[in-house]
Amino acid sequence: MEPTRNSHATLVDLLDRVLDKGLVINADIIISLAGVPLIGVNLRAALAGMETMLEYGLMKEWDAHTRAWESERRKKKVEPIRKAQIAR
Amino acid sequence: MSLETQHRAKTKVALATEAIVEEEGKYVYCVADAREDMSLGKIGIEGHKVHTIPHKDICAVVHSCPAQLYQSDDQEVVKAWVRMHQKVVDAAWERWDTVLPLSFDTIIRGEAEKSAEQNVKDWLKQEYKEFKRRIEKVRGKAEYGVQVFWEPKVIAQSLTSTSPQIRRLDEEIKTKPKGLAYMYRQRLENLMKHEMETKADEYFKDFYGRIRKYTDDIRVEKTKRAEPGLQMIMNLSCLVYRDRYTELGEELEKINRRRGFAVRFTGPWPPYSFVGGA
Repeated sequence: MEPTRNSHATLVDLLDRVLDKGLVINADIIISLAGVPLIGVNLRAALAGMETMLEYGLMKEWDAHTRAWESERRKKKVEPIRKAQIAR
Repeated sequence: MSLETQHRAKTKVALATEAIVEEEGKYVYCVADAREDMSLGKIGIEGHKVHTIPHKDICAVVHSCPAQLYQSDDQEVVKAWVRMHQKVVDAAWERWDTVLPLSFDTIIRGEAEKSAEQNVKDWLKQEYKEFKRRIEKVRGKAEYGVQVFWEPKVIAQSLTSTSPQIRRLDEEIKTKPKGLAYMYRQRLENLMKHEMETKADEYFKDFYGRIRKYTDDIRVEKTKRAEPGLQMIMNLSCLVYRDRYTELGEELEKINRRRGFAVRFTGPWPPYSFVGGA
């Protein structure tokens, strides 16, 4: 199989890398703010799984009902995180 | 001009200069294996002009900005920033072959007596040996993501037909009265859970061994929640020689073809997972 980097299908994979990894600067000359990782957590919570899987046909056998249910559940899960961030 | 006004004016100027110096920053995209002092044009986040800051035969790829983090509650905005970050790293990667990428939103600030640019230079100078070591580690290689999923239902079905213990319990339930059958079902569920975990472990070791052959290095990442009906049993970041990814792809295809299994293969990524830490 061929690797893919289609920008829509692999957004979560990109975020996993760009938000969490890479070269670390161990010095007080960098600016950092507690709470920044929240951007990452929030984004990932909203994006995790579903939309990327669709592209791979992993979900083709599921009925629309299952997808709707999953989407509802996801909305519920994501909401508190967004509220918390707006409150901040 | 009265003495007082003069004094006030001076203070104002001093404050303004200080403020500018303190607020200056350099957003760092990556460190590249290149002896370059040049501009890459306005390809940065929000159209910023990207340029290099050299030290010996390496350079930092940066843009100038206020010493403030990029922050937004709007996910679309953050996603766009992350994509732009990646585009710059990609451009540097393509141009100079070997880069050490930094994560999003790393900004080096200036200080009262030292510019942000000087701080970047000093940072490169101080870490030079280490950066060279890491550059050699990832030279000629790229990172690939490998995620293996299984369908627990399919795996459970095959366990029912292959594990004598499970099959026996399954048969016994049918002959038991209701109350007892319930207890047996509990036992069956526990046993099944245990067997599934053992199986997942076996598969992990098997697949890891196959994948290892085609990689220079592997990071085992946390498995993530998958779609209902699927479970991620393996999440790897693989450092692979650029000319060996097709072989890895062939091996993954074998796993992907198995009944009840699916593989995601992503990349090539700049080696994000292999440049951090010690």
